[in-house]
Parts: sequence; C-alpha cells; structure tokens
Amino acid sequence: MKILVAVKQVAALDEDFKIRADGRDIDADYLIRDLNEWDDFSLEEAMRIKEAANTPGDIEVVAVSVGPASVDESLRKCLAKGADRALRVWDDAIEYSDPIAIARVLAAVTMREAPDMLFAGVQSSDHSFASTGIATAAFLNWPHAAVVNMLNYTPGAKTAVLRRELEGGLLQELELQCPAVLTIQLGINTPRYASLRSIKQAAAKPIEMLSLADLHLVANDVGESGSSSRVRRMYLPEKGRAQLIEGDVATKARRLAEIIKEFRGQT
Amino acid sequence: MVATTTRILFETFGATEVRVFYAFGWAAIAAFAWGVYVQIRKYRRGAALTLEGSLWARSRAMISMVLSHRSIDRRDAAAGAAHRLIFYGFTLLFIGTATITLQYDFLEPLFGIRFWQGEFYLIFSLVLDVAGIALIAGLIHMMIRRGWMRLPKLDYARPDRSPGDPDFDRPQYRREDWAFLWTLVIIGSTGYLLEGARLVWLQGRPDVWDTRWWSPVGAMLAAGFQEVGLNAGGAAMLRHGLWWFHGLLALAFIALIPYTKVKHIFTASGSWLARDALAAQRLPRIADSAAQPGVAKITDFNWKQLLNLDACTKCGRCHEACPARAVGAPLSPRDVILSLREFAHATLESGVLPDAAELDVHGKGPGQVSMETLWSCRTCMACVEICPVAVEHIPIIVQMRRKLVEDGAMDPLLTKTLQTIHKTGNSFGESKRKRGAWSKALPFTLKDARKEPVDVLWFVGDYASFDPRNQKVSQTFATLMQEAGVDFGILYDGESNAGNDVRRVGEEGLYEVLATSNISALAAAQFKTVVTTDPHSFNTIKNEYPDFGGKFEIQHYTTLTRELFRNGKLRVTRPLKYRVTFHDPCHLGRFNKGYEAPRELLTLLGCELVEMGRCRANSFCCGAGGGRIWVPDPVGVEKPAQNRMKEAAAIPGLEVYVVSCPKDLTMFEDALKTTGLEGKFVVRELIELIREAIPA
Amino acid sequence: MSIILVIAEQRRGELRPVSLELLGAAQTLRREGDEVVVAIIAQEPQRFNKLLSVAGVDEIINVVGAMEFAPDSFESVVSGIISERKPELVLVAHSVDSFGYVAALAVHHPMGFASDVFKAEYVAGKLVATRGGYGQKVCVELDFPNRKSVLLAIRANVFKAPDPSSTPRLSIFAMPAVQNRSTAREFIELSAADDVDMTSAEFILTVGRGIGEEARVPEFRKLADLVGATLGCSRPIADAGWLPKSRQVGQSGKTASACKLYLAMGVSGAIQHLAGMKHVSTIVAVNTDAEASIFSVAKYGIVGDLFEIAEELRRHF
Repeated sequence: MKILVAVKQVAALDEDFKIRADGRDIDADYLIRDLNEWDDFSLEEAMRIKEAANTPGDIEVVAVSVGPASVDESLRKCLAKGADRALRVWDDAIEYSDPIAIARVLAAVTMREAPDMLFAGVQSSDHSFASTGIATAAFLNWPHAAVVNMLNYTPGAKTAVLRRELEGGLLQELELQCPAVLTIQLGINTPRYASLRSIKQAAAKPIEMLSLADLHLVANDVGESGSSSRVRRMYLPEKGRAQLIEGDVATKARRLAEIIKEFRGQT
Repeated sequence: MVATTTRILFETFGATEVRVFYAFGWAAIAAFAWGVYVQIRKYRRGAALTLEGSLWARSRAMISMVLSHRSIDRRDAAAGAAHRLIFYGFTLLFIGTATITLQYDFLEPLFGIRFWQGEFYLIFSLVLDVAGIALIAGLIHMMIRRGWMRLPKLDYARPDRSPGDPDFDRPQYRREDWAFLWTLVIIGSTGYLLEGARLVWLQGRPDVWDTRWWSPVGAMLAAGFQEVGLNAGGAAMLRHGLWWFHGLLALAFIALIPYTKVKHIFTASGSWLARDALAAQRLPRIADSAAQPGVAKITDFNWKQLLNLDACTKCGRCHEACPARAVGAPLSPRDVILSLREFAHATLESGVLPDAAELDVHGKGPGQVSMETLWSCRTCMACVEICPVAVEHIPIIVQMRRKLVEDGAMDPLLTKTLQTIHKTGNSFGESKRKRGAWSKALPFTLKDARKEPVDVLWFVGDYASFDPRNQKVSQTFATLMQEAGVDFGILYDGESNAGNDVRRVGEEGLYEVLATSNISALAAAQFKTVVTTDPHSFNTIKNEYPDFGGKFEIQHYTTLTRELFRNGKLRVTRPLKYRVTFHDPCHLGRFNKGYEAPRELLTLLGCELVEMGRCRANSFCCGAGGGRIWVPDPVGVEKPAQNRMKEAAAIPGLEVYVVSCPKDLTMFEDALKTTGLEGKFVVRELIELIREAIPA
Repeated sequence: MSIILVIAEQRRGELRPVSLELLGAAQTLRREGDEVVVAIIAQEPQRFNKLLSVAGVDEIINVVGAMEFAPDSFESVVSGIISERKPELVLVAHSVDSFGYVAALAVHHPMGFASDVFKAEYVAGKLVATRGGYGQKVCVELDFPNRKSVLLAIRANVFKAPDPSSTPRLSIFAMPAVQNRSTAREFIELSAADDVDMTSAEFILTVGRGIGEEARVPEFRKLADLVGATLGCSRPIADAGWLPKSRQVGQSGKTASACKLYLAMGVSGAIQHLAGMKHVSTIVAVNTDAEASIFSVAKYGIVGDLFEIAEELRRHF
C-alpha cells in the first residue's frame, strides 16, 4: 500500500529583495527556499499512518515534488523524516506553471504511482493558492476533502473519517471514499524533526527523476499554455498605513494608554 | 632484647586454626578477584575508547591528585581533611598488614628474610598506631557530617522523582554509607583492643611488654585492662576472640570491596587516570561509522564513562553546584550518574548480556534517565568542574541528548530554533544578509575581512549580531577598537552561528555544518588572531574547531582589551567609582579559566570589585547554556538568572552587576526586571563600563 | 451582454457575509450591459432571497440541495449553471468550502482561474486580478490570455456589501443527480474552554508569536484584565496550546465581529489572522519588526519591544 505526498519547495523573500528586470517575479538571488510548512504536516500524517500500521513495512510513503534541482534539498528532508522514496518531476517547460498545470503533472504522477491516498498541504506559504491538491483530485477524478485537521484512516480501507477545519472555530466531520486526495491543515499533528545527520544520510538515497515524457505529457500541458492564469507583473504593495507612534518607551506607552482610555470613555 | 622484638602473629594458634584462617583469607581474595573480574567485564561491555596522551603522564597526574587530595579539599576543606586522615590512615594500615603477609608468607619461608623486627618493627608499630587514630578520627568526622550536620548535599532525595517512587531517596544508599563507616571504625577499634589485650596477655615477656609504648594506644588500653583486673589468662582469651573477629571482619571488608562503594578506591583512581581535562569544553565527535548518534543503550557509553559511573561517591558536590537543580528542575547530575550506575549494575554485571531492548537508558523506569532531566541541563560544567573523582557528566548528558535529537524528542521551540539555524545560519531567523547590519550605525565602515587582510578578525556571534540590546554593545566595542587603532574586521554574512550551543543541544550534524562553514570562512580570510565578545563562540572555536581542521588563535575580548590598556592604546580618563560585582560566564571562566582579565580591567577602570559567594570556578550559570536560551523555562518557577540576581542583591551598596557575555546581558537584564530588583543595581557589559571610563 | 455569476455561501442556514461582499465585487466589475446572477445552494434556498436582493443583483438562482456543503454536488451544480448560462466571470469566495471544489471546477471547465484575489479590474478590456505573493509581501497581477471566461475566488473582508435594494428575478436550477463521495456527519463547535466569546468582545488585546514563550502568557492575561480587554491570540499561540483555540482570532479562529479597539501585540499579521480582525475600526499594532504586515491594517503602530511597552502601559492603569 502506498501514500503519495505532494510537497512544494516554497520561497520566502530575503532582506532588500529586488524585482526581476521583466517585472514578473522576484530576483531568484533574494529567495530563501524551504519545504512548505503545510507539507511538513502532510508528510508527518503519512508517516504516522505508516508507523501505526501493523506491518509498517507494507506501507510505502512516497514524496513527490515538481521543480528544478534545488527542490532535491526539500525532498531529502522528506527522506530524512522517513519517506521511502522521493520523486521529482522537472522539465524547463514547466516553468511559469500555475496550480492547475502543476496539478496536471501531479495527477500524472499519481496515475503512475497508483497510491491509496494522495496528501497535499492546504496551501503553500509563499503563494497561498490553496488550489493544487483539489485540482489534482479533479484531474484524477478522485474524491477529495480540503483543510483536513483530523484523519482516521487505515491504509487499504474503503473510507476515511476526517474533520475539516471551517472558519470561525467550527469543525465538520465527514466520511470520504478512498482513494482520495486530502489537503492537510497545520496543527493536525506535530511534525518530527529531521536531524542534520538524517538529512545527510538521506543524501545517499536516490531521488527518482521523472520527465514529461515519463508521465505521457507534452510541453503544452504545462507552463503558460497549460495554465489558467499568467503573471502579468509583481509590485510592492503600499504599506505602513499605520500612523507610527514615535518617542521613547514611556511616550509610546502613554499614547497607547490614551487611545485605550479614549475608547473606554466612549463605551 | 629490642633486636628480637617482633609482631605477635598466630603465636599460640594450632595448625588447624591457622589453616582455617588461611582458608578464609583465600576465600576473601577469591571473592575480591571475582568481583574485580565482574567489574572489568562490565566496563569492557562499553564502547571502545583510546585515551589520548601518555599513560605515564596520566599516572603521574592521577597519583599527584590522589596523594594531594586537592580535588576533595575544594569547597569543603573539612571533608578533605577528614578524607585525608582516612586515606592515609587506611593506606598505612594496609601497607603495614600487607608487609606482614609479605614477610610471613613469602620472604621468610622462601628466602629466610625477616625484617619485621627490632627498631624497624617498633617504629612501624608507632606509625600504625597513629594511622589508626587518624583513620578513626576521619571516620568519626564523616559520621558527624552524615548524622548530625545533615548536609543538604548528602540528602539522596531526587529532584527527578517524587516521594513514593521506589528510587526516590534510596535508603539503601544510607545503609551502605553507615555500614561502610561502622565497618572501618570497628576494624580500627578492635585492632586497638586486640593490641591492648595482647600486651596484657604477654606482659610477662619483656620483648613485648617493655616496648609497649611504641604502640601507645595499645599500651593505654592495656593499662586500662589491668586497671579493671584483667589478668594474662583472661587477656589471652579476649585476644583470641578479638583476633578472629578483627581478622574476619577485615577479610570480609576486602572481599566486599568490588561489590560496595569501597570500590571507589580503585574506580576513582581509574577515573582520574582516564580523565579528559577538556571533557566539557571539547565534546566527542560522532564516528562516521556509528550506526546511530549518541547513546541509546547502556553499552553505547564507552568503558571510561562506565568507570566514571562507578567512581561516584555520592558526595553531592555536583548536586549542590548544579543551577538546574538549584531552581528545582528535574535534574541532579549526581542522580544521572547514580541512575546510570544502577542501570549498568542491573544489566551489565550478569554473565550474559541482556537483550538490546533491556539496555535502553532513556525513559522513566528505574535507572533510566528521562528526557525532561536531560533537557534541564545547561552544560555549564559546574558538575564536571567540582567532581572530586573526575566524573565527566557533560559528555554523558550530551551523548544522551544526541539520541533525543535524532528521535526529535525535544521542545517544539528547540526544534524550530534548530531548523531556523539550519536555514538562516542564526538562531534569530534573520536573513544572513543582515548579520553585519548592526555596523551600519557606526560612524566608520567596518572592514570586511573576507575582502581585505586584517590584524584582528572579530567573530561576532549571533547575540552580538542580532539582539538589539547586544548590538549596542557590539557598536561600542567596535568604536573602542577603532579608537585604539586596532586593525580589525568582521566576516559579515560569511559568519554563521559558531555552533557551541547547537553542539551542546546534541545536534551534532548541524554543528558540523556550522563549524565547517565558519572554518572555511575563517581559513579564507587573512588575519593574525581572532577575537570575540562571545564566550560561547570563544570556547568552540578555541577547543572544538581544531578537531574539524580549524586551528585559529583566538582571544576573548577581555584579554585583548587588557592588552590595549597595558600598551597604552586605551587609557582611563574618567575613573569609575562604582561598587561592582563580576559574573564569570561559564564558557569564559570554568571552561577556559579566563578569570583574571575581566577583574584586572575592572580594577583598571577604578571600580571596587566585591565578589559574590559563587564566583570564578563556582560561578552560577545564567541558565542560558546548552541551548536552554532557546527553550522557555517553566512558568512560575525561579530561573537560574533570577536566583543569581538575588545573590547579587545581597551585596550592600552594589551598583553594577558586570557581565562579559552577550547571553548573560540578555538573561540578567531580564531577570533583574522579573525579580523586581530593578533600580537597586544595573546590569552592564564590561565593554560599556570601559566606554564610560574613556568618554569619547 | 455577459453574465457575472456569483456563488453565494451559507452555512447551517446562515448566509455567510462574504456572499454579499462577492456581490459588491460584482458591482465593481460590472460593465455596461452585464448582468449579475447570484446562485444559492441550500435546503431551502428561497429563505436567502431577501438577503441576496441587494443593489445590482439581476437574478437569483435557487438550487435546492443538501443542507450543507458537499464538494461533489457543489461542483456539479456550479458546473451545470456555468454550462447553461455561460458567464464570462464567476465569483466565488476564497473560503474553506470553496477550497473544497473551486479548483476542481477550474480543471473541469477550462476557464481562467485565480484564487485569493483581493483586487480585480479591466485593463484595456482585459480582466486583471491581483493577489498576494511570497507571503503577501508582494502583489501579483494575473491575466488570463485566451480565456473567454474567468473564475475568481475572492478574499473575504475586502469588498463592501452593496445596499439592500433590488428586486431581482428569481429562477430555479434543478439539482443534478450526483453521487456524493463524501458524507457529512456532524459539525463540532470547538468548545470555549474558558467561556470567552471573542466575537462579542469590543476591546481585544491579542498576543502573537512575538511573546516568544508560554511563560509570558500570564503577564499579558493580567495586562488585558487591567486595561479591560479580552485576551485573544494568533494561530501559533493556540496551536502551541498556550491559549485555548477559542481565543484564536483569524480565518480558522474567531472573527472579532463586535470589536472596536484591537490591540495586537507581537502579531506579525499573517493574512489568515488579518481576515478575522482587519475590519476593526481602531487597530493598534505593537511589533519589533517595522516591516510586519500588521502595520498595513493598523491605524496606529508602535515599533518597539512589546514587553517594555506592556510594562510601561501597566503603569497607566
């Protein structure tokens, strides 16, 4: 049995970043890359299911990511945490893909791997589309549930019971047919630590490379032509609308106290 | 007559009786030998370790330590004196008895050599009598310490167990302590009674009677016996009974040595012989071939560590010195050692080694050490430093932590911090690019040591680079160096967290990444010496980087600044009249013996230095070490730094609490506020006082 | 003439406020001759018609469906309406429910698609949608080349609800036969462990990651009591268990609905947090990081050590 976990290497902005000359992205030199926070939780959930099984050896956890060679670092982190295998899909044509195009690739990988379950994070911390996992389910025509923060699933079972975290502190419990795609929410578990030693050891494990051809896809399926949107430009938002209260600590606190007292006087 | 005077041995014993005694003697030796074998087998079940340095130098150091009793005298001179009496008394008596055996059983029957006679015998008999007095006096002092003074450090109640737990205060230890003391006292005193009885019995023999004052205690007891009307016949019977009692007790004592705390005679010496003077300062590497990092099973400890466990005499000095224990954390270094010792005793002394599952030292079961205990440690080295028998607690704790780190068994905040350090190279999660940003506020540009040669390369460290309060200190230090005309620079974003605390957390893989990165950055730069304001960076660069191929000359800023004052590059123009106390940072003081430079500087600045009770080697950790600065202390419990603030507050008229470590500044300024002592005195970096004394 | 289709959201018989905001967005995007059609899927959809009759709505489509959200039936209903009406623009909420089906819809109907959109406009006749990128640090403008129709998932609390004054046409769309592959069992309300109702509090003092450690929580609890505020927190604090989940403000926590003064201490301002509080009229943010995004929604900002500020503030009460 197999659980496929789709992970993403996200990028955060470094200090004093620059927008690329074409205005459509940030200069890559100023991006700090890391495994998406949500994916830590989805991988952990897969590992817990594996470890809780009677014969963990029969359950394979496979991490997959779509991205260039730099993504191997994140996949190695997954291997260090116990994933049995790691797959990476890349082709230069994939650049500029939106979540729909990425989902098309992930769905092709899922067809190839034929897992019992596909996990993805609810969203990525960099672009927060919250779309890739469910779009993948659509390509696969699999049942799906988004924003899962509790899961009760035994590999091979026909259904899973789970809870979705809705707005306003409300949870919804439901039963879902399997195989399915779940997007996993933060807080569903406590992700384990991958020690540097285990990451180093994971470097010895192979990361399987898949090309578009391996997945029976063509260049037009991905990139801008395979996407439902295109980045026109990026720009810095106007910010700092707040009126800054200056002065030493005492002055700042006094002004803050005034604001509070003013409010209390009104009510 | 004197010439024929000799020790009265079996004398009237029949051949059978002598044979019976020899049988007991051989049995005792056999029991002793078996016990020794079992102990050695136990140690050999630990991991291999090759000691550095020559055995000769090690032996000399060990003998010097044992003979001088320096380590036992420290912070408890009375215990040192009493132990010295016991040690020398016991040793002389042992040698005395041993030489009798030597002559009687070997030299005389084989070669006809007799030396136990005449003047030699008389002098020896006087010496042994005095030795016996010393032994008993020492033992009585120890009894007083246990029975009447009831020193807190001798209380075996454990901070990591609750009353009611089977191993909470371990009454069997108390029973063993008393049995040990009484056995020796009884052996000693029956020796005297025996001597007195023998004199009365043989009062008719002038070679015995006329030389009786060479054994003064025996002679006095003989006089006493005569006083109460004991005649020669009665004395003969008494002597016969006492002889057997004394002899058998002494043989039993010998037989029991390997099985009881008495074995510390050997294990403590062995511990000193195997001692690593840098045990806490330079932690062991993990061999590339190691199947897993750190210690999971008792057999993962090396033989020396297993020997360390047996060397412990439960003196409680580490228990007393430990800052975690002092604030009620579930850790006593003593109990870590004793737990593991009990564990080793239960698992490694049997003929067949138990299954691997039964050798797991992690957990809450008897003899196991819990993760709460291990994570309470600040690796401040107070325990290692004060241990009179060279037990090296820190590597034991860190090796066990390495296993916890591998399993991810740690506080989520610590996990987060380690991930942050891996990602950004600093514990603040700030961009690498911002590492040198604090220097932008300077009126001059700091040299980039990656781009041009400098005399002094300043390794800044995380706290001094990123913590806003410490950034001010860094700016002050940079200005002082500039004014003193020092040619210096920093590595900017070429520098990463030095790794000292990461290593002490037990994340060795991350430490290797950090150390390797810093070593290559340092190796690529041109400089004469490294300086740092951070004692943690100082320690690891000085003591640990060499193991990774990075050999750099490094100074803490206190010695560099002292040098600048000595050669007139810095001059005090406005002497400070403050009444100050100085807090020795663990990594500068205990770890690297940098006690003098900061004190000399304070004197140079015109300050009046008043020491706290716990100073220099006995300095009390601020609580930040061993990665604990990244893990919050429990709510509602006193923190080590708060405990320290109260100690400082007891100094009348104290104006400034001086520190010389960025983490100390953070910890103590915080503790000053939370203890409500703000306003009584201030916490200042020594650098700030120097600035004050040399107004720009 | 083209149609702007809006999918309204309800939960447990209550119209979700974002539904009206979507109609507000439709107003701003409406061009000459466009029609705004809103669909509502519920057990008794007609109950919502009055609420949905706001300015600019031309038609309300009632779909009689299951009581609660189920991704399969929602997708097929919306898909059916799209096939029938061929709208040029479909607006849905960027909400937990829409996370569950909208991306699937975008796959099955090859439309242009963007999620978490907070600004949309026509530039030279072409639709341009703006969303955040790199942790909301930058704005990303998207366009949809070669797409005749576009599906936008709109961020909540951005667009204003229109005035309630219209008489739209009413129509009914028959629920297609769908085999739902999931079965909703029950709703679980996270019990307010300490009986606090963040939604009705008028003055909230929220602590975030900036407080650093659990040990600091009590002093802020005291401070909140002292100044008369209800203590709230951001997600990391609740996830760490330092404060009960019922005190969490934000998308997956509570919305500070009644709040008039919101004091955010050590809260950086993740978008999910802002969703629960940025509508508050007076927001004061205290943070060490002058770049923190909380300052972009705050009325007043204090850059500094929050412990020092808190300490000083105490002296005034």
